[in-house]
Amino acid sequence: MNQIFANFSVPLATVVFTSVAILHLIKKNHLAVWWYVVQSSAVVILLLSSAVKAPSFLAFIAIIATIGVKIIIAPYFFFELIKKHQLKFSVTTYLNMPLTLFVIAVLGAITRTDFFWPLGQLAGSNTNACFIAFSAIAISLFLIVNRKGALSQMLGVLSLENSIVTFALFAGLEQSPALQLGITFDILLWVTISAVFISMLYKHFGTLNVTTLQKLHD
Amino acid sequence: MSGVIASPIAFFSTLCFFAVGSIGSLLFSRRDSVAAIWANVFAVLGSLASLIFAVNSLVTGKIVSFSYASNFSILSFTFRIDALSAFFVGLIGLIALMASIYAFGYLKHYYQRYNLGVLGFFYNVFLASLILVAAAHNAIFFLLAWETMSLASFFLVIYEHREETNVAAGTLYLIMTHIGTAFIFFAFLLLYKATGTFDFSAMRAGLASSSSVVKGMIFLSALFGFGAKAGIIPLHIWLPSAHPAAPSHVSAIMSGVMIKTGIYMLIRICFFIMPSVPLWWGVVVLLLGAVSSLLGVLYALSEHDLKRLLAFHSIENIGIILLGLGSAMIFLSFGLPGLATIGLVAALYHTMNHATFKALLFLGAGAVISATHTRNIEEYGGLIKRMPQTALFFLIGAMAISALPPFNGFFSEWLTFQAMFQGVVTAGVFTKAVFITAIGSLAFTGGLAAACFVKAFGVTFLGRPRSIKAGNAPEVSGSMRISMAVLSLLTLAFGFFSGMISSILKNIALSLPNLESADTTTVMHITFSAVTAVFATISMPSILLFLAVGIMVAAVLTVFVSRRQKIIRNITWDCGTNLTPRMEITATGFSRSIITIFQGILKPTKQMDVEYHDSELRYFPKIGVVHLGLTDVYERYFYRPAAHFFLKISEQVKKIQNGNINAYVSYVFITLIVLLIAFAI
Repeated sequence: MNQIFANFSVPLATVVFTSVAILHLIKKNHLAVWWYVVQSSAVVILLLSSAVKAPSFLAFIAIIATIGVKIIIAPYFFFELIKKHQLKFSVTTYLNMPLTLFVIAVLGAITRTDFFWPLGQLAGSNTNACFIAFSAIAISLFLIVNRKGALSQMLGVLSLENSIVTFALFAGLEQSPALQLGITFDILLWVTISAVFISMLYKHFGTLNVTTLQKLHD
Repeated sequence: MSGVIASPIAFFSTLCFFAVGSIGSLLFSRRDSVAAIWANVFAVLGSLASLIFAVNSLVTGKIVSFSYASNFSILSFTFRIDALSAFFVGLIGLIALMASIYAFGYLKHYYQRYNLGVLGFFYNVFLASLILVAAAHNAIFFLLAWETMSLASFFLVIYEHREETNVAAGTLYLIMTHIGTAFIFFAFLLLYKATGTFDFSAMRAGLASSSSVVKGMIFLSALFGFGAKAGIIPLHIWLPSAHPAAPSHVSAIMSGVMIKTGIYMLIRICFFIMPSVPLWWGVVVLLLGAVSSLLGVLYALSEHDLKRLLAFHSIENIGIILLGLGSAMIFLSFGLPGLATIGLVAALYHTMNHATFKALLFLGAGAVISATHTRNIEEYGGLIKRMPQTALFFLIGAMAISALPPFNGFFSEWLTFQAMFQGVVTAGVFTKAVFITAIGSLAFTGGLAAACFVKAFGVTFLGRPRSIKAGNAPEVSGSMRISMAVLSLLTLAFGFFSGMISSILKNIALSLPNLESADTTTVMHITFSAVTAVFATISMPSILLFLAVGIMVAAVLTVFVSRRQKIIRNITWDCGTNLTPRMEITATGFSRSIITIFQGILKPTKQMDVEYHDSELRYFPKIGVVHLGLTDVYERYFYRPAAHFFLKISEQVKKIQNGNINAYVSYVFITLIVLLIAFAI
């Protein structure tokens, strides 16, 4: 069973990385949310593989909570927001598409340089998957920096969290299921508060562009 | 029976009383009287239970411990009540018990004015957290209890929130306590890094191989953090504002025991966790004690606010405790654990004594304030006729804090002197000079404290009333007088039974790992009737007997001599004018001469406002007002420049806060990449 998951480690890490890259490319909000669902599903499978190695009741509770929050509740919130405010297209970016792709490529390349080689050593047999997950972290951060839309930034933050979990799993830094449960609870709270924040932003400024927040600057 | 009492279940039961008291008082918050009675009944039960628990632990010598490990580290907790913890738990229980009995009568003047349910809630939470602080044996759990204690006490300080000064005092307290907590947190992180554990017992073993620099950093961080809570000068600035702002029974607990939690942790770190103590730690503590005791009493002398005066005396007494503690640390560094035991016993004795007489004085002050509705000492006068029992209790407290025999304050200060005298005999030139400075400071402090309480008692209770309120002040309720009476008896009993108590405190000191090898037979000899420390002997029962016989002889002689004399009542000659309260000496006038002597330290200020009949000519003054005060040197030379500096820095840092979320995330992103590259290089 473990061997099967071990064989799928790189493909699963690739799914996480690819979904982040696609989040940079697509314009439609509902598609972005679906890609987030795909990414979260990959993370859930990874968590499941980890739980199978060291089975515990709390670990399975943590997985069920992760499914509940990341695959059901968070997407539900996003779809409701899109429906409520008719947010069919995501807002603009700071960099245009070619430059965005260039930065993604550069970040992907940097994470494979000698500077980050010690990180790969953490992973043992999963070195490649570890580097891919680390690239996903960097590109998720870039997604938050590059996008001006609040919804895209929320997806960026969630994607960043997924990438960190993936990296931790491959690097052998996974913590107790209790911590995972705590993180999931934290995400649930964060998504709830952020959804309220987005609604307020839209109500106040008529747009989800976070640059409008500068108007609040004293 | 004692086995049942000395069990974790008994300890949890104590906490349950406080939990029920806090939740119940909130539920009954719509009815003031019910909320107040509910909160105080459970506070009394909880305090009594904790007192019985602690006394049983001290008598049987049984250590009660309990540990609960959880996957969530914040929910994991360990408590261990050894002799030192039991001593502090007992002290907290005793003072809380008296304060809670007092509160039955005292809280009536809050009815229909403030929410008694909220007060009851925070009061019970505060008491529970105090006990948990003394019982905690794990750094994370300790910090949780410490923070709960700080927050609960903050809400009690701002309880009378309609007074702006109280809110300002609470804010200052909150800031200072959290700066202190940051240092405590840092100390525990260093301990964790050095030892790999948060458990106090396990830390000791891990520290054996740590460098002296790390240990020094831990000590300084702990001294700063716990010193801020204890009110050591110059970290004391919150104390004279916060203690008076709280309701008086809370002030009694804050001043009587809360600030002692800082002392408790300093003892825990220096005598339990640290395997050794270098000389400079003791010297620093001794000098801080000397400065705090002397300056504390000098600032008290200049006060007109009765509760602020008492708060400054808390700083003074913390200084005296530090003198004992510092002496103990110096002797420990010299490899003289026997003498160190004397110093620590002196510190613990004064901790207990200060808790009792300061609680008594704060409760007495609360009684006066609730009867006169003012804290200004200049508006009192003649209260001994209106409130004779309160006056008697306050006088006993004043005598005890002034270290007058046969009360308890005398014995602990005597023991502190003995420890320091021995320091002069045994130490080298530098340490000898430090000890001589500390002895001089304590001698000055004792004299000035007596002068200060002559002022406080004389101006408050003697002479004529200086205000209508003072002239009409009623004696306070029975519950308030009962608690003051018990504390008065305790101040006498703690003096009278000094031999027995010293013996118990010696056992507490010897239970600490750094002192357990101490041989005290040659330096300390204790019997019921006398205590010998190094080369001096004192017998408190003999002193009491001598005083009692002396007073009786004097009384008999007075009666005998005056038996045939007639009492003639006549009008006092007053130079042709009517006697008014304005002819009495004021508190300001009384203390001004002493302040003038110490003007180099205290920096007194004098401002005259004159109003003229004709402002153009300015020849004929109409009204002249003199404002006398002291410069707050700490605020002027340290806190204000520090605040100015941080404001300047903040103005610069604010520039990167441009309101753009993307920019903020970019900072994070860039920092991450730079750090990773830096670590890789």
